Parts: sequence; structure tokens; C-alpha cells
Amino acid sequence: MSDRDRRVLTPEHVEIRLVPAGPGSRFLALTVDSMFALALSGLLYRLLVPSLPFGLGFAVWATANFVLGWGYHVYFESLHRGQSPGKRLLGLRVVDARGLPLTVEQSFVRNVLRVLDMAPVFYGVGAAALAVDRHRRRLGDVAADTLVVRDSRTYPEASTVGRSPQFNSLRVPRVIRAIRHRIGLEERELLLTLCLRAPTLQPQTRFDLFEEVAAHYRRKLELPELTLSGENLVRGLTAVLFWDLRAAGTRAAQRI
Amino acid sequence: MEVESFIRDRQPHWSRLERLLEEVEAAPERELGPDRLMELLRLYRRACSDLNEARSYTANPTLLGRLNDITGRGYRFVYRRPTAEGVGPALRRLIEREVPRAFRRRRREVLLAAAALTLGALVGLLAVLADRQNGERLVPTAFYTESPRDRVARIEKGEERIDDVEKALHFGVSLYTHNIQVSFLAFALGALTILGGAWLLFYNGVILGAVAGMYVLDGVTGFFLAWVGPHGALEIPAIVFGGAAGLMTGRALLLPGDRSRGSAVREAFPDAWRMMAGAALILVLAGLVEGSFSQFSSKTFPTSLKIGVAVILFGALVSYLFLRREPGEPVR
Repeated sequence: MSDRDRRVLTPEHVEIRLVPAGPGSRFLALTVDSMFALALSGLLYRLLVPSLPFGLGFAVWATANFVLGWGYHVYFESLHRGQSPGKRLLGLRVVDARGLPLTVEQSFVRNVLRVLDMAPVFYGVGAAALAVDRHRRRLGDVAADTLVVRDSRTYPEASTVGRSPQFNSLRVPRVIRAIRHRIGLEERELLLTLCLRAPTLQPQTRFDLFEEVAAHYRRKLELPELTLSGENLVRGLTAVLFWDLRAAGTRAAQRI
Repeated sequence: MEVESFIRDRQPHWSRLERLLEEVEAAPERELGPDRLMELLRLYRRACSDLNEARSYTANPTLLGRLNDITGRGYRFVYRRPTAEGVGPALRRLIEREVPRAFRRRRREVLLAAAALTLGALVGLLAVLADRQNGERLVPTAFYTESPRDRVARIEKGEERIDDVEKALHFGVSLYTHNIQVSFLAFALGALTILGGAWLLFYNGVILGAVAGMYVLDGVTGFFLAWVGPHGALEIPAIVFGGAAGLMTGRALLLPGDRSRGSAVREAFPDAWRMMAGAALILVLAGLVEGSFSQFSSKTFPTSLKIGVAVILFGALVSYLFLRREPGEPVR
């Protein structure tokens, strides 16, 4: 699992992972929000200024505009479960770093500190902080102990595992046929799990484990003496299972 | 464990939990009703154990991703802080009780911030009294266009600058929006660097002291007090409050001590937010005073009246924030 994920342990002793959003989607969400706020401000100007006497209209509008500028995000973040319209559109959400909804105070702090994140231009400081911080937080997020997360349903690794390598010596009709007939659903899960967890294993354990599993499948699939390392063989096998045989092989995954 | 049958088995529960979560997320204020609430709780706990179970058998990203998502959403709902009241009563409670209470609790930080500003003011004042040239060096040239004596003479002779409500209002609004932003900046700098916030307070003090020093040297102290006093009595404390809230947050963030950073800032936030809200409200009032009353020369309002108003405003502010004692509150 990605290093950037924030892990939260619930009182039920379950670990939930929060996946931090990247700078691109956040900037896009911000642009949407800014345009929305600007339109709202223009509308208020049209409504208020001509309708109130003694220049009161302008005074009320200027105040409303000020409140809109500073309160827009605070309002949406604290009363709409961490989602401003722009963030909702992009599937982002601000949450407390402990995985809970953020409070008004937290939202206030992270938005007041926006003045520093915005400096010098186009959120330069904020972008630098995002690049350096493990959980991709800008200064306001660090101070308020909040996090902008993606409301996603898959772990980000999904895309990297499913991709089949361009050259796969297992992708030949005879082997594919053997794979289809001799590897059950549960084994598929096992292979996938092994590939996904490989980075967390110690090098020696990883080598031994892959060699052992590879030896088993060399026998089971009656593979010719392929000059492949254990890990390459297992990865190639998994790629065939989850990519080339997608329609047949991942019924389970698709049904989730 | 057979993943296929595990999914087949639990799927309906997850879908049901998802539907319930969508409902509570769409209308957070609406009561779900005790039955469905209990059902949600039961399903949430079950999803928790499903996630744990699935994690120990498989790394299938789609399955774990979905379970992670519904468990996370459930957690956010189940352990959220209850929202007891609407915006109106909350605002009233904030102004009536919570803001003064926060100030009384954080007296020490407020005094510290006030000390930074006062120290700056003394430095500025003494520097100018020692050598007049220092005044021109310390005060930014944008604010220093003519000598205080000339300025007083011009203002006292000429027409009143503010002669209708519209001008006063426009000026007032632009003043308080600007000043609130300054107090936000003081807060932000204090919260992230502590020293930056303290420096901002000190530096503003220096300028204030230097300007005052120049008026004193020109023998127009009374004019200065009448000109700055009525709004300054509110505005200067408000900037101090912004700085104090910043220092307090900065201390929790940068020097949490034995506690974790997270719990230290969470403890500081409620008071910091109340102090900032208080400062913003005070600045609105100060801006309106500065835009109108402060601008009149002694032809309209005698100097003594304006200084008197300044003293009354400052007294009212101090007694609102610090002097009241609620029943049951310990005497300090």
C-alpha cells in the first residue's frame, strides 16, 4: 500500500486507509470553487447594490463578499462533510487526520492559513508543502491536522498490478489453456496477493517464497524449462490471469 | 477462505450499509429513526470485521477498496461529534458566553501579545523622542507625507473629510475588511512560526510608537489621541487578540511538549477560533467608528469628547471580555 496513505485505527481495531489527493485534482477543485464564488459574488452585486439606499447596498455587498471569500470553504467543509462543490465534483474530501469529520475550528484554521499557502503566486508555498509532505498536506492542513483525501473505492495499486507486461513468455496458447483449466479461483487470489505484498517482504524471504511458488507452478502447468526467475514467472502468470483472462478470471472482482 | 463465496455471502450487507450511509450523508440533520440507526451500527461493525477478515486472506484491491470505503464512511458517521443546535443559537452562545470565556482562559497569552506590541510602541516612541530623524526612518514613506503640525493645521482649517453616510460607510467597510485580514495574517504567522507573529506585533507597535512620538514632538498630542483613540481603543486590542490566538496555536503546534501534536492543537483550536471570531467582530465595530466618528475634527466634536469616547469604548471592551465572572467560575 502506498506510503502516502494515512492509516487510522478505529475503536473496532480495524485499520482504515485514507488516500491523500494529489496537487492536480486539488488545484482543479479550487479553480471550480473560485469560479463558483466569483459568480456568486457577481450575482450578489447585481442584487444588492441597486436595491438598497445610501450606499448601504455597496457596504452590505462588500461585507458579504468578504464573508464569502473567507467563509466559503469553512461553510462547506464544516456543514457539508468536508466537500465544497469543487471538491465534490472532483471526488475529494477534507477530513480530520484521524478519519473523522473536521470541526468548524479546524476548517477555520486551515482556511485562514490559506493566506500563507497562496503566497507568492498560485499557491506556490502550498504546492511546495504538498511535494514535501508525506500525506500531501499544505501548511493549513498541517496546522489544522486535516487531510484532503480521495473518495475512492479502489486502492491505487489496482492499476499497476493488472497491467500485463508487453513481453510475457507465458502468453502462448498452450500455457494459457493450461492456466485456464488448472488454476482455481482461490489460487488466483493467492497469486495476486503474493504479487501485491511482495514489496513488503524481506529480500531473502521474497526470493525464497517466489522460487517455491514458481517451482510448484512449473510442475503443475508442465512448463518447459523457461529461463525465468521465480518472481518473473509468478508475475507473468498473474498478469495472464488478471489481464489476458480478464473476462474469465476476475469474475469475483467484477462482481464486487 | 473462498473469496468468491465470501463476497457472495456478505454482498447484501455491504449494499444495505451503503444505502443507509448515503441516506445519512444526504441529510445529516434528519433523524434516521432508532431502528435503522441500530441497523446501521450493526452493519458497520460487521463491515469492520469483514475488512479485517478479507485483509488477512486476500489483497484484491477492488474488494479491499470497497470495504475500506464503506468502513471509513461508517466510522466518520458513527464517531462524529454531535451537532446539537442551529446556526443562530450557536452564534448567540458564541458571542454571549464562549468568546469572553476563551479570553478569560487565555489571559496569559493575551498579555504576552500585548506586551510584544507595547514593547514595540515604547521602542518606537523613545527612538523618535531621542532623535526626530528616526521617525522618518521608521515610518513607511507611504504614511509619512507631511509633518504632524501641518497635517493638524490642514485638517482643522479645512472642510470635514467625511460629509455623508455613504462615504463613511464605504470607508468603514474597506477599513474593517482590511483590518480583519491583517489580524488573520497575524494569526497565521503566529500559528506557523511563533516568532513571525511576535515580530508582526512588535513591528506594528514600533510604527504606532514612532507616529505618536512625532505628534508629541510637534506638540499636538491631544489631536493624535482624539484622531486615533476612538477606533484605536478597539482596533489595537483586536490585532493583539489575533496575534495572541496565533501564538497560542503556534505553541501547541511547534512545542506540544508531552502531548501529541494532534491532541495539543485540538485543545488549542476551540479557544483560538473563538478569539479570532471575537477579534473580527470588534474590528467591524472599530472600522465603522474609524470611518465616521474618528474622522471629524475638533470643529464638530471637541477633542475631550473624542478621547472620552475612546476611554469608554476601551473600558467596555475590557469589561465584556475580562471582568465578568460567571457563576461557578473559579476566582483567579
